[in-house]
Amino acid sequence: MKRLATLAMTIVVALALAGAALAARQEYAGPRAWSAGASAGSSYSSSWKYNHFFKQGSGYDTTVTFIDNVTYSWHATVRNTAGVTYTYWFVSNVKRGHCRANSGYFWGTCVVSD
Amino acid sequence: MLGMRMMRGRRAIVASILALGAATLASSVVAGQFRTMDPKSLNDALANGQAVRVADIAAGDGSSGRGVFVQTTDTGYFCLYDALSASSLQRQGGCNSVDDPLGGSALLVSLAYDGGPDVEDAREARLIGLAASGVTAVEVLMTDGTRRDVRFKKARLESDDYVAFGYRIKNDDLRKGIGPTAVIAKDAAGTEIARQATGIGS
Repeated sequence: MKRLATLAMTIVVALALAGAALAARQEYAGPRAWSAGASAGSSYSSSWKYNHFFKQGSGYDTTVTFIDNVTYSWHATVRNTAGVTYTYWFVSNVKRGHCRANSGYFWGTCVVSD
Repeated sequence: MLGMRMMRGRRAIVASILALGAATLASSVVAGQFRTMDPKSLNDALANGQAVRVADIAAGDGSSGRGVFVQTTDTGYFCLYDALSASSLQRQGGCNSVDDPLGGSALLVSLAYDGGPDVEDAREARLIGLAASGVTAVEVLMTDGTRRDVRFKKARLESDDYVAFGYRIKNDDLRKGIGPTAVIAKDAAGTEIARQATGIGS
């Protein structure tokens, strides 16, 4: 009985750690091919702080931003043609990461993280 | 005559198939080579590295002044961003390969703002940039057709010379729907040598 309880406790801790690890980062779009006008959004969470758009190289115009779940307006938006476009938003509000390709065609991934 | 036409048609079809195949193959090669970087490793590299303040964004409209920073990382990136200070983790900008800091252009520009996405709803909009050393004037072209001169500073990074700048867009302009549509770099003769569209007004 004691062993069973220990095993159950171990599983609970492992699941919690795995959950925490998953919550720390979400590749919400890609790796995939992007064409001009394509966009994507992550799940909503209060823990997201960073939003990165990793691209195959520089010269591709992209936007990263955060969208809150109350007014749905954009926050901490960054737009450029660098190989990595990134932003932060250090607030406890519930929000989702949003990324958009303003030019194409290229390979890239959008990632939110805490 | 009919046979010749059919032959040409077949050749066109074969050529199209070959072109499509080549494009698919090239796309597969890029896809195979592309690897998503862990954002944490980039954040850590930036946090542990040495940022160089190359320009300033003046305080205005109730917002604090900010610095324009460049930084090379041990992961092979050259990053340009703006932040309240060199030690701040709250950075906004972009990174290119350290082998090609300007990304194949004479001008690297990054636009940041809060609010939006419509210009009228945006506020605290900032432009930061880095240009090749031959640039002697930087202008922001606004959506109403006016041009704003941008102050810049010379910056020597590693062994290369650049000019760096930061520019705050007035909230009053944004409220009127006037935003920055492009950044233009000119040489000593006044000739435009690079232009980077912001995406606003296009």
